[in-house]
Amino acid sequence: MRKSDLQRLDDFLWEIPRTYRDDMRVPGRVYTTERMLDQIVRDRSLEQLVNVTALPGIQKYAIAMPDVHEGYGFPIGGVAAVDADDGVISPGGIGYDINCGVRLLRTRKSLADVKNSLRKLAHSIAREVPSGVGRGGALKLKGDDLDRILADGARRAAELGYGDAADLDRIESGGRIDGADPNEVSPAAKGRGHDQLGTIGSGNHFVEIDIVETVFDDEEAARLGLARDGVVMQIHTGSRGLGHQVATDSIRRMMQAMPRYGIRLPDPQLACAPIRSPEGESYLAAMAAAANFAFANRQIITGGIRRAWHHEMGAAEPLDIVYDVAHNIAKVEEHDGRRLVVHRKGATRAFPGQPVLIPGSMGTASYLLVGLPGAMAQSFGSSCHGAGRLMSRTQAKKEIDGHELRERLERMGIIAEAASTKGLVEEAPEAYKDVDEVVGVVARAGIAKKVARLVPVAVIKG
Amino acid sequence: MYEILQHTADVRLRVTASSLEELFADALQGLMAVMHGAPVGGGEETETIELDSVDLTALLVDFLNEALVRAVVRRRGFTGASFASLGETHLSATLTSVPAPSFDEDVKAVTYHEAEVRRSGQGWTTMLVLDI
Repeated sequence: MRKSDLQRLDDFLWEIPRTYRDDMRVPGRVYTTERMLDQIVRDRSLEQLVNVTALPGIQKYAIAMPDVHEGYGFPIGGVAAVDADDGVISPGGIGYDINCGVRLLRTRKSLADVKNSLRKLAHSIAREVPSGVGRGGALKLKGDDLDRILADGARRAAELGYGDAADLDRIESGGRIDGADPNEVSPAAKGRGHDQLGTIGSGNHFVEIDIVETVFDDEEAARLGLARDGVVMQIHTGSRGLGHQVATDSIRRMMQAMPRYGIRLPDPQLACAPIRSPEGESYLAAMAAAANFAFANRQIITGGIRRAWHHEMGAAEPLDIVYDVAHNIAKVEEHDGRRLVVHRKGATRAFPGQPVLIPGSMGTASYLLVGLPGAMAQSFGSSCHGAGRLMSRTQAKKEIDGHELRERLERMGIIAEAASTKGLVEEAPEAYKDVDEVVGVVARAGIAKKVARLVPVAVIKG
Repeated sequence: MYEILQHTADVRLRVTASSLEELFADALQGLMAVMHGAPVGGGEETETIELDSVDLTALLVDFLNEALVRAVVRRRGFTGASFASLGETHLSATLTSVPAPSFDEDVKAVTYHEAEVRRSGQGWTTMLVLDI
């Protein structure tokens, strides 16, 4: 697609009109600056967005957030809402890492308080929270333990001693998605995930220690318990192998079912089924179970980080949840008086007043935002989810020297606890878009307002 | 044979072969190469896979996803595949594997995106996008 195929609606919003391709049911909309649009058109993300506009039952428009980049099926950074009764559910619109998400923790310490302990703290977290490909966790599940996690998510993790009721109040959906059915999760999916609770995994997943560098909104920051120079931590991970297999199983089943429902799509990876069909209902029940697994995963990881924090800073030193958001999920929500299923793939829910967590790359910054009424009016209550990749992993490995990167991060005052240099290089700051520009778009579009900018001081990853 | 190509977030593989059996076997080899399993000596095993899919392309993707889940759950690296039958929508295969206690890359899935098994000259080809 060329830039000239898009129409500019305002400074930060561009539209791909329905006339671009015959099978489009609605237009595509892209929130971006003109500069970033020049980058976006270089990969296939907008063609993928056009494919999404062909989904049966899609409402108003398919949306790409400013962090959009090429994925498969849906672009990463994509939002699509369908009618909850007449529409379809597409597992590819949620992605393989169901309920991949971010959790923000706050401390009562400042950088000065922890500076001398930082290296030990990062090391201690790395010891408590396994990361890397295929690394299993310390939690040994027995009997129906896994099914209870799938049914009750972070609530069950809290019952097992990983947190309390106050934690659950600060998690999207209370850390438990209704309608989860462990029986809809295949033995293969359970086999893939049973030893992975409490682990980060690899790729772009991490635990990060950050400092609140800038507060943009004192009132909101105070409401969320944050102050300038405060030490906070982020957890970015999801449902691990269990979620991956739920998606694989469901997409395959829907591929087989689509001819029965007369559905034809431009990309088989968008495979879908009517929400009110055995395949649709089965997927929603399995997706909810995988989402609960992810909420429990981040809750158990929080337990590991708390152990490390208490070990280094003292047993009475609090480490509380600010908020926990999913950015790969489908949710039944009411918009303009209608019940819709909103697919968010690499997009964060941004209801008015709700904290929105935007992790950046490890050498730049992350943001805490709060959703605005404009999100409900424009984007089905959705915002961006991160900086967005710019450079392929292959290119990053070719262009970036791991040794130089470690030295550069050290010079920037960032400790890197990485299980592999390859994993570090793939996630180098230059592999990502400018997070300040990405967040600037959603702020100026009135989707979410900036509350705080966070800068990393230690990164723990696979 | 397979080639690893650029993709912004994931891995794109192009597989070409002189026969369908070779295409499926080479695609499996490509998947294992991306996963970078670290096989240890000995312990060679064989196992069978029977699959039905909606078309030939889906058959390849489903075959690779079945191999993927078996590899990660049982920590095995597949070293070969032979096919008792391989049609448009059904396959029966025997896979050979060795222990692989760890993998370097967490492949979430082999996707259907851009996949299209088709004839190319005297042989067969397809693109595959792996979610990592």
